[in-house]
Amino acid sequence: MIDDTLLEDAAEDLFEDAPCGYLSTRLDGTIVKVNRTFESWTGRDRGELLGRTRFQELLAPGARIYHETHYAPLLRMQGEVRGIAVEILCCDGARLPALINSVLRHDAEGRPQVIRTTVFDASDRRRYEQELLRARRREQEIARELQRGMLSGELPEADGLELDVAYRPGVAGMEVGGDWYDAFWLDDGETVGLVVGDVVGRGIGAAATMGQLRSAVRALASTGLGPAALVTALDEYARRHGVGRMTTLVYAELGLASRRLRYAVAGHPPPLLVVPGEEPCLVWDGRSLPLDAHRVSAHGRGEAIRVLAPGSAILLYTDGLVERRARPLDEGLDDLLREVAARRAEPVAGLVPAVVRALQDAENTDDVCLLAARVGARAVGC
Amino acid sequence: MSVAERNNVVEHGDPRGQPIVFAHGFGCDQNMWRFVWPAFAGERRVILFDHVGAGGSDAGAYNPERYGSLQGYAGDVLEICHELELTDVVFVGHSVSAMIGALAAAAEPERFARLVLVGPSPRYVDDGDYVGGFTREDVDGLLESMDANYLGWSSAMAPVIMANADRPQLGKELTNSFCRADPEIARRFARVTFLSDNRADLARVRTPSLVLQCADDVIAPRAVGEYVHARLAGSRLVLLEATGHCPNLSAPEETVAAIAAYLAS
Repeated sequence: MIDDTLLEDAAEDLFEDAPCGYLSTRLDGTIVKVNRTFESWTGRDRGELLGRTRFQELLAPGARIYHETHYAPLLRMQGEVRGIAVEILCCDGARLPALINSVLRHDAEGRPQVIRTTVFDASDRRRYEQELLRARRREQEIARELQRGMLSGELPEADGLELDVAYRPGVAGMEVGGDWYDAFWLDDGETVGLVVGDVVGRGIGAAATMGQLRSAVRALASTGLGPAALVTALDEYARRHGVGRMTTLVYAELGLASRRLRYAVAGHPPPLLVVPGEEPCLVWDGRSLPLDAHRVSAHGRGEAIRVLAPGSAILLYTDGLVERRARPLDEGLDDLLREVAARRAEPVAGLVPAVVRALQDAENTDDVCLLAARVGARAVGC
Repeated sequence: MSVAERNNVVEHGDPRGQPIVFAHGFGCDQNMWRFVWPAFAGERRVILFDHVGAGGSDAGAYNPERYGSLQGYAGDVLEICHELELTDVVFVGHSVSAMIGALAAAAEPERFARLVLVGPSPRYVDDGDYVGGFTREDVDGLLESMDANYLGWSSAMAPVIMANADRPQLGKELTNSFCRADPEIARRFARVTFLSDNRADLARVRTPSLVLQCADDVIAPRAVGEYVHARLAGSRLVLLEATGHCPNLSAPEETVAAIAAYLAS
């Protein structure tokens, strides 16, 4: 049997012992009515609160700023606010994590008169949310550490070789992007392998993929495959292991004595060549599709070979250097050519940061990577 | 992308009238001025905008370096003035935008006729004898508050909000949309706002100004308003009866009357 007297609660009882805190305040926040639930949750009684305390004074200082800059304006603009998280200062110094809803009550002329607020205990929910937030921040940190670790190796050094790189991590969503570079000696000890690549996606997944592909390129390069065969093998690797689909990269081998440049470009922006006495130019040969672009296909991987004049430089970069929203790619490439042309005589170590700075754009949030190598510069005049 | 698109510039009033630019503070967007700007649309050219990362602005244009100091935001104000070819500008800035306007006016004084600073503070955190009203810990507490409140801002919602700036009716269906912002950008804006120290910049401002000070403003207490008034050459201080930090919403008539009286003087 149900006791009907419990179903016929008096309105007063519904208010006082509701399963949520209940407050009415004036527009400036002064509390004019409060229920027993709120009193018992906060340990503050109505004698202390009514007519003397403003609701915002019961909030921790940080939440008070939030109240003034978000809650109060929203309430005025919308007439109600729902689901705002605050911490209420209890009498014993404890903080009650709460979710509050408020409505603005108007008089007959439509002028706002009083604010009604309900308060829900959100202690458990808040703890869980904080755990989630910590986990997400940690993940972003790990991704950044991973990326830093992989991109901080030393560059090859040799007489007759100038090599420099600039890398600026992107800021979109504050997550790490998927650009990477690498430069290493091949086994013959006189050829340098150069890589610049761009993995699809951001965050920890992109960082891990980048690490796998970077290691795979190094391992494959040491077998002496050459650029086209290396990209083919990398394609196979990507397909078999399901990593790095649609990654673009350029892989080049630069012989220091021979000044022979051999390269393959998989869906990546074209390398830029600076030959003494000539205008800088983009090279459009040796191109093929991004990694694993076709699930089942045996499309060929091209490569090209050039013998560079002494003092020539090759620049490899990612699309973040030249691509901008609301601007055709052609214009970005033209800007790059112009900036490089203006600095072509500078040492690579000065050229690289200057070009990145010149093309820097407040609106660009993508990763930016530029790697340049000049060969045989010191041989000139010998 | 034009500056006007980037900052979601909205114009009202008489295009040939004297320009009056309204800048919103930390927290919400240009809607903060909804009860104020119509009073000036009769004979002036009213310009409203959103700071990058707030309201209908292009959050993709956010760059932590540029917006790592209030100078970056002042740069945006100047870019808006350049693109719209505004001169003889009346700049009305609320909260942190009061200082943003002061920085812009210090950089290009010839462009500004008057400044109206609503609840200004050149530094929010106490420093020696200077009482800004907050401690460093309070600012950390604010960041925690923001974390707790942005959990409702899921990545699934972001594209809906960002992509529909031209369909405000959709925005209105989303609760609290006037104060929505990309959480990471909002955190950074909070830091820049509450940890900046622009006290030394006040002496560089030559533009005549009005300081509007509310009663019981916990964000910008009266002592801070008096500090600003004392250090801004050619400034006038008006104490409002309105309480809180947002007289533009809580007491629009009084706010309008104070601004109009100042501009008529």
